[in-house]
Amino acid sequence: MSVSEDTQQLLTEIKRLREELAIKEKHLHDLQTEPCNCKYLENNDFTTDEIIRYSRQMIMPQVQIDGQARLKRGKILIIGAGGLGCPAALYLTSAGVGEITLVDYDEVELSNLHRQILHSENDINIPKVQSASDKLKNINNNVRVIPLKVHADSNTLSRIIQDDKYDVVLDCSDNVATRYLVNDVCVMNDIPLVSGSALQMEGQLTVYHHNSGPCYRCLFPVPPPPHTVTNCGDGGVLGPIPGVIGVLQALEALKILVQLPDVLSGRLLLFDGSTTTFRNIKLRPRNEKCEVCGVNPTITKLIDYEQFCGASAHDKVVNIDIITFAEQTDVKDFPQDLQNNIVIDVRPELEYKMCSLPGTFNFPYSLIIKDCDKVRKFVESKVQDGVTDIYFLCRRGNDSQRAMLYMKENINFEAVQYHNIKGGLHAYSKYIDPSFPVY
Amino acid sequence: MPVTVNILFFAQARELAGKSEAEFTIETPIAYSDLVKRIVDEFSLTELQDHLILALNSDWVWDQEILNLKPADEIAVIPPLSGG
Repeated sequence: MSVSEDTQQLLTEIKRLREELAIKEKHLHDLQTEPCNCKYLENNDFTTDEIIRYSRQMIMPQVQIDGQARLKRGKILIIGAGGLGCPAALYLTSAGVGEITLVDYDEVELSNLHRQILHSENDINIPKVQSASDKLKNINNNVRVIPLKVHADSNTLSRIIQDDKYDVVLDCSDNVATRYLVNDVCVMNDIPLVSGSALQMEGQLTVYHHNSGPCYRCLFPVPPPPHTVTNCGDGGVLGPIPGVIGVLQALEALKILVQLPDVLSGRLLLFDGSTTTFRNIKLRPRNEKCEVCGVNPTITKLIDYEQFCGASAHDKVVNIDIITFAEQTDVKDFPQDLQNNIVIDVRPELEYKMCSLPGTFNFPYSLIIKDCDKVRKFVESKVQDGVTDIYFLCRRGNDSQRAMLYMKENINFEAVQYHNIKGGLHAYSKYIDPSFPVY
Repeated sequence: MPVTVNILFFAQARELAGKSEAEFTIETPIAYSDLVKRIVDEFSLTELQDHLILALNSDWVWDQEILNLKPADEIAVIPPLSGG
């Protein structure tokens, strides 16, 4: 039996065993949580086990049995089951919120695991909402967890909001278009929105549309130009950064449900992990001229948010095709002879240091367009050595096209042909050698 | 009269400015729009100029405001962060 057949058989068996385990656990839970009418409890909303489980928060004067009952009646909608959604959902489930709906269209990838703490190695390629809800049910089966594997857009989200009455929404998404969408949905349905975001070493947190506070559009009426927005896939993020922000989103949601004062509305929390500092910025009040939450709103129905932002409502990179067909080289024709051909890898230096193909040269795209003298001299010397073909390479084959076009316009040698390795290192890993890491 | 204030950069502003804080000498009093223009010109933030919050000593700055700056005041430049 080959290794892959072996792996496949094991995966299938593990899946079957998991399903069997889930059925038995559900059965056990049902037996253990049958209504007890316990004569010691004044409030029959809770079982003996629930009192024990939540006792550490219920004995706080801020929560008490009434606060816990509010949590149990509470319904929360979480948009995104990633770096923010995982820790947020974890604490909300543990705290005993009645119902938690998770919305995410994506599947678990290996590169998610350093920060998306509900997913494990065995969950690769399964829907994030499924993986997350399995773990959450294991932690607290009293909570009704509803996984919705769907892309949040104007149509799907209005249906989801109409189907249930949510007390709080958590924006744990990863892109600008979804942030405007979720904001407008919350304003139109009068639901407080706990909004968190994280990138690299920084996080932001605030609560929109709560107690007459401002909404996202009051602060940022115009979306930023797409090219100024960095996503986690390109900029990177250190796991505990969304961890901190996601946990604080859970805290604010619990405060709203329990009806505690001093919710983070009208204030913006800035977390800087590089210096481990928190700052609270006092925000403006609601903008009476706001297009969605103002006195005379002009946006009263959901719009096309991808069009509004000029960007897709996800954080995946959209591949470009800006050079001619003849200039594209299939990765299967990757040059073997690196004497007469040279390969220029245009990724940032730190990515090149992390992993690279032997015999290639690193000239980052950002440096090529800033100062092309270095690469010009390099190419000149290679041309003198008899090089006739120069191949451009990067992570996905996009920046390499940009670099190639720039070189064509600015550093053209008659004796040299420029080529782009189509699909970049992702394609190399897929078609040539899977041991090259896809990141 | 010129004063020297501290500018703090967050998120994309930090990336474009290439630093997380800077001292900056500027005239006072100054109108919000002039302050934004001086900062975005000085620190290569033109692309973000319509997409940021300015906070003076942690308080929101209104777009019609005339600011009376004092030495060592902190001005935070905050564009939205959208990753997650």
